[in-house]
Amino acid sequence: MKRGLRVILAVIILLALIGLVLGVDWIQRKDASRPVGTATSLPAGSIPIYRDGELVGGFSPTDLGKLEKVSFTDAAEGKLQDGWLLRDVLLLYLPAAQLQPNTPIIVSSSSRGKSTQLNWSEIQEQANMVMFDLSNRGTLKLVSLLPKLDMRDEWVQDVDRIEIGLP
Amino acid sequence: MKEHYFSTFQLILMALFAALIVVAKIALKLPLQLPGHSGMFWMAILVVSSRVIPKPGAASIVGLTSGLLAAFLGVGDFGALDTVLSYTMAGIGTDVTVLFLGSPENLFVATLAGIFGNLSKFLVKWGIGLVSGAPLGFVALGLARSLISYIVFGALGGLLGGLTLIALRKAGFFTYLEEKR
Repeated sequence: MKRGLRVILAVIILLALIGLVLGVDWIQRKDASRPVGTATSLPAGSIPIYRDGELVGGFSPTDLGKLEKVSFTDAAEGKLQDGWLLRDVLLLYLPAAQLQPNTPIIVSSSSRGKSTQLNWSEIQEQANMVMFDLSNRGTLKLVSLLPKLDMRDEWVQDVDRIEIGLP
Repeated sequence: MKEHYFSTFQLILMALFAALIVVAKIALKLPLQLPGHSGMFWMAILVVSSRVIPKPGAASIVGLTSGLLAAFLGVGDFGALDTVLSYTMAGIGTDVTVLFLGSPENLFVATLAGIFGNLSKFLVKWGIGLVSGAPLGFVALGLARSLISYIVFGALGGLLGGLTLIALRKAGFFTYLEEKR
């Protein structure tokens, strides 16, 4: 086979791979947008926020535009963590009056089997930088300057649930 | 005496290339905040390795070795399995492209080899995400962007590798290698 023909074949394979990835993604997003056993359906790609077991909203990619971006360089790896404060995310769905300093907030990732519990006073304090960084794969990762959340092993990658408990 | 597929000299070169990939991953950080941008460095190294050690499988072994090294050093944010698999697949992607299209001293072939190598790495990460059930969540926001970014940086890495090979030929490196054989 001539090289020109092989190059064309390689380009076709490349386009097929791109089509496969985007096609599977499109099918998944279509499936995810269907309501699952609840009256409330969340937009595809959103992260559900529960308060005392009740769904109060879903943080979606479109919400990102409403939030101010923040960043810090983590001490452990010197990596720039760039994203949105968890405080601002929560305040999009709940009035501040409903959150007491000792209100527990659990951020978890079912795929990673990881979660972390923080209270509102820790989250509210901007100096703690409790924030979501957008990972390279496009998922959200909870990072912070707090000692319990400042190392890679402590970060919660691929966040898919936020729960607000009762104080 | 039984002749081995790779000579000792070639094995040493492969180990050096593997170490270079890990060093590049750790030390050469661009403040780009774009997924797959490190591929610009290691696709260049993989493409160069596929020509300097002109045997099928060389880039794959360089990828596997660098993946094992990186896993032990804790490089990568999705665990050791992802690190080993993605580095190995980047090598296999480069190898298969070079095997199929010919010498990466041709800049177009080198660019395609870089694209396929970096895309293989992306496919491993995407596949692991699918299997592990990582949230669709914000992947929906970033998938197309990630894919384009991996392709662009893979292409740049491949091109860089191709240009390096041309420079090496001009410097007489391949004549030196022939003499070593």
